[in-house]
Amino acid sequence: MKELSKIEEILLVAIWRLRDQAYGVRIRQHVSGVLGKEFTYGNLYSALHQLTAKKFIRPATGLAAPSRRGRPRVFYTITPEGREALQSARELNAKLWLGFPAFALDKDKIG
Amino acid sequence: MNRAPLRPPRIPAGLLRLAAREEDRFAVLGDFDEEYAELAEKIGRAGAARWFWLQGLRTAPRLLGDYLYWRIVMFKNYLKVALRNIRKQKAYAFINIAGWAVGMTVCILILLWVRQELSFDRFHPNADRIFRLTLDAFLGAPQNAPVAPTPAAPALVREFPEIQAATRIADPRPTYVWNEAREFRVDRMAAADASFFRIFGFPFLAGDPETALARPYTMVLTESTSRKIFGTEPALGKFLKGEDGKSYAVTGVIKDIPRTSHLTFDILRSFETLVVADRATAENWFAISNFAYVLLDKRADPAALEAKFPAFIDKYMGSVLKSIGGSLTLKLQPLRRIHLYSNFALDIAPQGDISSVLLFSGIALLVLLIASINFINLSTARSSTRAKEVGLRKTLGADRGRLMAQFLGESVLYSLLAMVLAVGLHFAGLRLFENIIGRPLETNVFKIPWMIPAMFGLALVVGLAAGLYPAGVLSSFQAARVLKGKGRIGGGVFFRRILVVTQFAICVALIISTLVISRQIQFVKNQRLGFDKDQVLVIPRLTPALRQSFDSVRAELMNLPGVLEVGASSLVPGRGIARSVFFPEGFDATESQLMDILSVDTHFLPALGIRIAAGRNFSPELATDRTDSVLINQTAARRFGWADPVGKRFVVPPDSGAPTQYLNVIGVVEDFHITSLHQKLEPMILFDNRDGARFVSVRLQPAGLSGTLALIKKTWTRLNPGNPFDSFFLDDVFDSQYRADERMKDMTRQFGGLAVLIGCLGLFGMASFTVERRTREIGIRKVLGSSVTGIVRMLSKETVLLVLAANAVAAPAAYFLMNLWLKGFAYREPLSVWVFIFAALMSIGIALVTISTQSIRAARGKPADAIRYE
Repeated sequence: MKELSKIEEILLVAIWRLRDQAYGVRIRQHVSGVLGKEFTYGNLYSALHQLTAKKFIRPATGLAAPSRRGRPRVFYTITPEGREALQSARELNAKLWLGFPAFALDKDKIG
Repeated sequence: MNRAPLRPPRIPAGLLRLAAREEDRFAVLGDFDEEYAELAEKIGRAGAARWFWLQGLRTAPRLLGDYLYWRIVMFKNYLKVALRNIRKQKAYAFINIAGWAVGMTVCILILLWVRQELSFDRFHPNADRIFRLTLDAFLGAPQNAPVAPTPAAPALVREFPEIQAATRIADPRPTYVWNEAREFRVDRMAAADASFFRIFGFPFLAGDPETALARPYTMVLTESTSRKIFGTEPALGKFLKGEDGKSYAVTGVIKDIPRTSHLTFDILRSFETLVVADRATAENWFAISNFAYVLLDKRADPAALEAKFPAFIDKYMGSVLKSIGGSLTLKLQPLRRIHLYSNFALDIAPQGDISSVLLFSGIALLVLLIASINFINLSTARSSTRAKEVGLRKTLGADRGRLMAQFLGESVLYSLLAMVLAVGLHFAGLRLFENIIGRPLETNVFKIPWMIPAMFGLALVVGLAAGLYPAGVLSSFQAARVLKGKGRIGGGVFFRRILVVTQFAICVALIISTLVISRQIQFVKNQRLGFDKDQVLVIPRLTPALRQSFDSVRAELMNLPGVLEVGASSLVPGRGIARSVFFPEGFDATESQLMDILSVDTHFLPALGIRIAAGRNFSPELATDRTDSVLINQTAARRFGWADPVGKRFVVPPDSGAPTQYLNVIGVVEDFHITSLHQKLEPMILFDNRDGARFVSVRLQPAGLSGTLALIKKTWTRLNPGNPFDSFFLDDVFDSQYRADERMKDMTRQFGGLAVLIGCLGLFGMASFTVERRTREIGIRKVLGSSVTGIVRMLSKETVLLVLAANAVAAPAAYFLMNLWLKGFAYREPLSVWVFIFAALMSIGIALVTISTQSIRAARGKPADAIRYE
């Protein structure tokens, strides 16, 4: 199982959350919101390609939309491997922070 | 959103379109459009446009980087697949790459050589204004040689203003020079006039080109000669003693002469030296043995100048020419044509030959063509076995572009690998090739700037061509058809057959040539020569001083154990000839006869084992033998119609007023070959004249040869202190006359080997292709009861027929060419039909062995495997 980079993890979570609305615009807006800063399409698509190559997500072309001047949306769905990767990433995060209270960080900063 | 969608700013949109991968283009641009429309609703069009610009500019580089990244990933993938293919089909890959590489190597080598041949003498700044004088004369005998009367060069400059300078050059010959007491052998010492360096652009390292050769007893050395004699000390101003005992001043050192110069020498002394030593000869218009070169004015027309020569000759030589009934025409030969277009029996150095340059260029082109076609063919034949792979890939969704890229990429990779291999091979081949052509090659592909790009381009084109067929045809197959086994390649069978026939015809022709040439060389070496060339040691340096005391020298040598006989002569067989005109008595005064002249002492004939056919040998007791007696050979007797030659006479044309003198024939020697068997035996006249002798021939006992040799050397050096001992064996020198023929043999043999190799590749390609095509037929035949041998025989039949056709084409061509080559020999082994039969059998054998792997494999395969796809 390949390791997920942080940005890939964020994207996978975003796609999973957005479900049938997981296409470029929505993913970007969601991720920008999570990060609290503009996330560019360049970074978005290069990460999406990596995830596609790792077979964690699968692209599917949707119907043409009028607001896109006739261009179809490309929707992404998570594959079983992608789900597994998310699962293990979550477990890894949990293990990483296990028994470590959230305020400890703030205390350290003060101290 | 019921309004028509807004059009976003054009420039960033265009940028994005360029940067995005093709697959993403719709998605990315659509996303931008959608978000732009949303923003326009929310914050107005100006804000949306600003966002579009900002976002577009930040996105485009990243998209571009992404695009390139995936490109490289794809390429790596293709490369991996291609290399995997090579590994999977090692034998095929090796054969295909090696065949193409060998073809390219041959072509490179020939190209390098042709380029060198064509560049001869072009390095002189005035190359296109330099001409050599040649003459066409009849002086008792026809004469056509690149020489001119000795006084002609200075006279020409005097008489014709369009001739800026002229120089005579005396034949370069081996000699010795002495620096103090140390002796040095010089391979080529020539002599030239002071104007030599005005005409030719040999760069000086020391000394003044204008005056270097102005005075007698001056010398110019080449750089390496100077280093050999003086080491690192400057040679200029030093003195060297010559063989004539005179002291020469070194007045110049020039850079070593390029290989691409037809004129070469190690030392050039001033022609004035020769003039001072022998003024009469230098002023004699009938002393015609020196070369002459002229430099014309820029505006001069060589043809117009040539037209003035007859009057010039008439002025200086007319009256004498008229009295002897002779004629002489001078011509101008352009310097740049000397190397490739001269065809003189005697020349300043052995020259090249435009016909061999053309021949080799043709061979190179042919080899290249055949090798590249083989490469294309073999790739195509192989790819037909991959039709099924293609079908499978297509069903799995591979698109046509990808498949084409895969096939093209693979064949280009093969071709480029072959190119790299060829560059490596050509370094290994350089030395071999030098041996074949007998001349050094001074270059390699890296010394010619356009060579590597040209090869790269060629490899690319051939690689693409080889991949094009499979890429175009296979990738267009409909998957279903291919998987059903209907997508085999069917066309081009005729073309393949023609190719195989052509290639084998070349092989057969070369096999025949090799056989004929080796047989002829064997023949001339085994031919009775009329003398016994074995165990004769020749000492080529009988100096005038030694001639005086030769009797005692001979006596000392005869006393040595192992020495059987010692004789002296002006020439020995294989060391050139001397000819002159004689007047046999009973013939008309105008019917002069050209005869080979040989001056001998009384022991020379026994020393060489030359037998007396009639009369007697010269006798030391009879003084008249040394004044007015001669021997002739049997050819002379036959030519003059003398049934009983002893007692016949030659008339010696008297000086004005003196009484007529005669030469009496006292005996006839059996014919012996003084030249190689390229030339016919000519009438010969022998004089008992030791003063003309330059060679000492020593017949030795076969046993204890090296001991005897050491003794002779010791004795010789003791009797001639200060003189170097130099010797050779007669058979070596005589056989060296066939060196060019031996080289020809090597050449045909080696090219024959190559041709067989390349031809087998073509045949192999065709055989594997045929077998592939007929797999199912073979399977069905086996099911119906055919034996393995029966099927092998069936598969071999086509090959045998093709090779027979190749023989039918090659045999007449080879017959014609070999007859032409044999014409160069006066004595030749007739062409035997067995040579042709042998070549046919050999070519069929080679062909059968080549296809055997394919046909036997096919014949032994299980029929079930062969017919299961249906």
